[in-house]
Amino acid sequence: MNFQIFMQQLINGITLGSLYGLVAIGYTMVYGILRLINFAHGDLLMVATYAVIYSMALFMLPWYLSFPLAILFTGLVGILLDRVAYRPLRNAPRISLLISAIGASFLMENLALVIIGGVPKPFPRPSLFDKVVDLYGVKIQVLTIYTPLTTIVLLLGLLYIVRYTEVGKAMRAASRDFETTRLMGINLDRVIALTFLLGSSLAAAGGIMWAMKYPQVNPFMGIIPGLKAFIAAVLGGIGSIVGAVVGGFLLGIGEVLIVAIFPGLAQYRDAFAFMVLIFLLIFRPTGIMGEAIVDKA
Amino acid sequence: MDKGLKKTILNISAIGLLFFALWLFDRYGTEYHVRILNNIAVFIILAVSYNLVNGICGVLHLGPNAFITIGAYTSALLTMSPAEKKISFIIEPLIWPLSVIQVPFWMSLIIAGLVSTVFAFLISYPVFRVRGDYLAIVTLGFGEVVRVLCNALQGVTNGPLGLKGLKPYTNLWWSWAIAVITIVVIQRLINSSWGRAMKAIREDEIAAKAMGIDPFRHLLMAFLINAFFSGVAGGLLAHLITTISPTLFTFFLTFNLLMIIVVGGLGSTTGAVIGATLFAWGSEALRIVESPMQIGSLYIPGIPGMRMVIFSVILMVVIIFARKGIMGQREFSWDWVFAKIKRKHT
Amino acid sequence: MGQIFFQTQNLTMQFGGLVAVHNFSIKIEPHEIIGLIGPNGAGKTTVFNMITGNLIPTSGKIIWLDRDITALQPHYITTLGIARTFQNIRLFGNLSVLDNVMVSYHHRLKSSFWDAMLRTRRYRSEEKHIREEAFRILTMVGLDHFAREPASSLPYGQQRKLEIARALATNPKLLLLDEPAAGMNPQETLELARFVRSLRDSFDLTLIVIEHDMKFVMGLCERIVVLVYGHTIAEGRPEDIQHHPEVIKAYLGEKRHARY
Ligand SMILES: Nc1ncnc2c1ncn2[C@@H]1O[C@H](COP(=O)(O)OP(=O)(O)OP(=O)(O)O)[C@@H](O)[C@H]1O
Ligand SMILES: [Mg+2]
Repeated sequence: MNFQIFMQQLINGITLGSLYGLVAIGYTMVYGILRLINFAHGDLLMVATYAVIYSMALFMLPWYLSFPLAILFTGLVGILLDRVAYRPLRNAPRISLLISAIGASFLMENLALVIIGGVPKPFPRPSLFDKVVDLYGVKIQVLTIYTPLTTIVLLLGLLYIVRYTEVGKAMRAASRDFETTRLMGINLDRVIALTFLLGSSLAAAGGIMWAMKYPQVNPFMGIIPGLKAFIAAVLGGIGSIVGAVVGGFLLGIGEVLIVAIFPGLAQYRDAFAFMVLIFLLIFRPTGIMGEAIVDKA
Repeated sequence: MDKGLKKTILNISAIGLLFFALWLFDRYGTEYHVRILNNIAVFIILAVSYNLVNGICGVLHLGPNAFITIGAYTSALLTMSPAEKKISFIIEPLIWPLSVIQVPFWMSLIIAGLVSTVFAFLISYPVFRVRGDYLAIVTLGFGEVVRVLCNALQGVTNGPLGLKGLKPYTNLWWSWAIAVITIVVIQRLINSSWGRAMKAIREDEIAAKAMGIDPFRHLLMAFLINAFFSGVAGGLLAHLITTISPTLFTFFLTFNLLMIIVVGGLGSTTGAVIGATLFAWGSEALRIVESPMQIGSLYIPGIPGMRMVIFSVILMVVIIFARKGIMGQREFSWDWVFAKIKRKHT
Repeated sequence: MGQIFFQTQNLTMQFGGLVAVHNFSIKIEPHEIIGLIGPNGAGKTTVFNMITGNLIPTSGKIIWLDRDITALQPHYITTLGIARTFQNIRLFGNLSVLDNVMVSYHHRLKSSFWDAMLRTRRYRSEEKHIREEAFRILTMVGLDHFAREPASSLPYGQQRKLEIARALATNPKLLLLDEPAAGMNPQETLELARFVRSLRDSFDLTLIVIEHDMKFVMGLCERIVVLVYGHTIAEGRPEDIQHHPEVIKAYLGEKRHARY
């Protein structure tokens, strides 16, 4: 493999990884507070892409209006998800919460199937992103550059919110000690709603960029990226926002490079992430940047 | 008469009655009825043994579809004749010795169960190092890995082409006999000291450990038993559908099983049986919502996905508003029947 | 040199920056009743968690019957003869009161899995024996009338008794009680003290008891260890502890929010 191809693949990996990272942030944030894997999180990718398609096709909105609207819409769907599927179960056994999450995921997918149909739709990628630049002989689609940059900008924005604003501080307090935060008089339901809003919006951004990269969208498109993003979140250490993005990059790059170096393994590509997960759980269940999970007696 | 003896007699008569009814259906029933009855039996096997892990031990295992797939492929490869295999495997020939082995159906089912159990054992260590959401994802991931392997290992599975033209060995006798065996085995286990230990782990794992119970051993036991029956059921399904492929038993199937045991009542074998019956019957009945309809001059096109929408709504409504499902953790018992009869007569 | 019955050597538990227990050393002889007291957050429960394997000590050693049991698995430690109750009651809520106790016999079951599945005579007689034994223990703690009720339906005080019954059923030589009198009125507390003492004699037990109720501890225990912020500040007979200046200081300092 020569240098050009290697760079090409590396950049592909970074792009893919940044998408995983964006989606992983939502898992990590929700897990931090509710200790719940939001199974339906991956499906928000799908919601966002359909929101874009419809707003552009039906209301003829230009992409620069349609994208933010779709992101906002998906954020609201995230809040609705919490309100309907999770909030009634705050004091229920964990297994119920998880089952509700799985139910919500299937509901979203199949509702989309019923409303929109199963035929994959092309995603109207703005031609702006089609351009190809030549960097020292490495041909790169501009999209592959914009994607990681957008991810980094969004990550910095999120970190600002979490570290320096009142709500951000409340979120961090809630993820450290749910009960005490409640006792301190903070409205936890609002904090949680905000967490869902932020996490889902980022997933929406990830979904839109995903659809620009792989412009065939269908009701089940969110499942696999969702699962992989979850693994990225575990890899980075669940609960850590920076960890989620780091995990996303590692997973994306690893996935692309393994196939690039050993083309014979291409068929096994989708199994790679799960192998990572299994080895992680055996050797370092806390991930790269996570803290130890203690067994409180 | 001694109460235990009386119950044994009642149990045996109930089973006798069941098989008499099956005989009637076998002779006089339509193909439609026979199909539903077979489905009910297979779902009973799957749900009752799945409930052992999810309802009795209280861990969320999301990978039974993996073991069903493994069982289905194992059993199918063992019943096909060497000649059939040679014709089917066109891309890559089937590896030796699978290419020459052929065993009777019953033996293929047992081996299917055992092979599934071996796979379950191999992944048990990472699975039970974690709990809760993580365990759910690892088992779910295993299902994905199995699907990828089925596609990729063409020399064993024939890749995406799958296996076609299996003999329809599965009939009412096989499926229901195994369903009855499953219920008896699982019930005996649940009502033993081992079952009690499993329930203790479900209720409070830390306390169970403090009472001297090793969670890993007991969870593993439940997991392996579930894998065994899932494998057997996979073999039954393969010879019922007669065509299998890597995308046949996906997470959808697991979702359906989960819905069955949640609606029936997590932790109740009776509930799992009721749930399986309702599901197998209901999903046939609900086919109409997905097929086009002509009411007078009104034409309603079929809506694919509608059944799953209905099922996911049912699952969520039950888990949010009626968490105990139909049976809660209760079981059917003759004592309960006696009490009912007595009350009516006095 | 005789056998070491139970001993901890410089047990230390650190949670991040917090040293919850610092160099905790104690030696216990068979048949003793030890009291472990100290203000909230002193590290008492943490000591229990280390002994029973729920927490792995940052450093230090636990010796039980001449054997180093530090960091062994909790269920294994139970089979070696150390049982405990939990401060924040941890019953098997949906199981019957009787089943709660019967669970504790499982680790000593002699019948094999196949005996159980085939319901052999051996298994049936063992199950029957366990049932009778469990009933006997329930009768002792006065819960036999509730045997068929789900454990979660018991009133608080009875739940504490069930915790003790369940721990006893594991057949311990050393029993650790974490605030057994919490939530009981003075009358019940008095009865409990009498009961614990009778247990010691009839089951040949050694006990370590954590309790905030001074009257209970002073009346029951033969030796008391006082923990404050993870440090052992005093150890001795009840009458000495009562007059120990440091103990008085520690307790007066936090009297206002002792218990609950
Ligand atoms: N698993 C844990 N992780 C982190 N900190 C812990 C853990 N367990 C206990 N602690 C901390 O260690 C300190 C000692 O706690 P411990 O429960 O042992 O106190 P205690 O003496 O039993 O108090 P109480 O009388 O309130 O029961 C406390 O500050 C507690 O917050
Ligand atoms: Mg304590």
